[in-house]
Amino acid sequence: MHAALITLHLITGLTLGQYAPQRLAGEPLPAEQEARVQALASGLRCAVCQGVAISDSPSSMARAQLERVRELVAEGKSDDEVIDYFVARYGEWVLLEPEVSGVNLLVWAGPLVLVLLGMVVIARQVKGDENAPDEQLPDGAAQPADGPSEADADLARYLEAVRKETDQ
Amino acid sequence: MKRWWWVIPAGAVAALLLVVLYRAFGTDPRAVPFQLKGQTAPDFEMKVINGEGAMTLESLRGRPVVMNFWASWCGPCAIEHPILEWGARSMGHRVQFVGVVFEDTEANARAWLARHGASFPHLLDERGQVAVDFGASGVPETYFISADGTIVDKHVGPISQMDLVHRVDQLTGG
Repeated sequence: MHAALITLHLITGLTLGQYAPQRLAGEPLPAEQEARVQALASGLRCAVCQGVAISDSPSSMARAQLERVRELVAEGKSDDEVIDYFVARYGEWVLLEPEVSGVNLLVWAGPLVLVLLGMVVIARQVKGDENAPDEQLPDGAAQPADGPSEADADLARYLEAVRKETDQ
Repeated sequence: MKRWWWVIPAGAVAALLLVVLYRAFGTDPRAVPFQLKGQTAPDFEMKVINGEGAMTLESLRGRPVVMNFWASWCGPCAIEHPILEWGARSMGHRVQFVGVVFEDTEANARAWLARHGASFPHLLDERGQVAVDFGASGVPETYFISADGTIVDKHVGPISQMDLVHRVDQLTGG
């Protein structure tokens, strides 16, 4: 039922022209500049997609953004200037890889700090287990003597009683 | 006491994570930041498709502007259009309404306007560059620009009649 509804929606949409008309991409720049365009575009997020670079998205918005990168590179703008242009309009959200500075350092250093903290906790826990008998005894308490403990004696008495019962 | 020294850094990290989570839960991860608020709107020159010649933003200086990005292939734009038409007729003496056709052909846009009506100028953003200059994230999207050319606000998606009136009032101080 859902498939039929989706198909009907798509057919109606296509029939009524509810799609962006295909448009030829802008003329590619000379090889060296075009390589820069593609490198920059692969680090910029498409404004209507979720985590997709403008170089990889077929959306109309991404095409317009890619054209802008091409224009800026053709005008002789540096990589930083192109990135600044997009950050000024879309914020750092537009960068697929956040810059390693300021609060963003938390993103990079956070996991490492957590792993180190976890290792310290585990190391202390292991060390604590090794020292546990010593630490659990109150100061001045005598070490237990070798031989059967009180619990073992209780168990022995219980087993003896059971044996007597079964022998009768 | 000595055994619990690590509680302080662990607590600090946990508190930091809680702050990050609290801030993240308060925002829509799909929302594109609106960076140009309070800044001068980028100037443009675009062809008027339902009139003569071209229009620049500079030529509108001195009047508040309601600028709407739309496309003939955009379903929500068709829902929104009658509200903008009504706005241009009833509030056109206070603000200048301008439509900007995004990622569309001139023929499609003209045919669409013939069907839906065009009581204010519509301009053709041929390569989508004006949309990118404004930091737009799709259509429909409406920008509210003050008389001195400052971007005061924007609305993403189809705007309601009440919202339009409220924002025009804010723009004109009325």
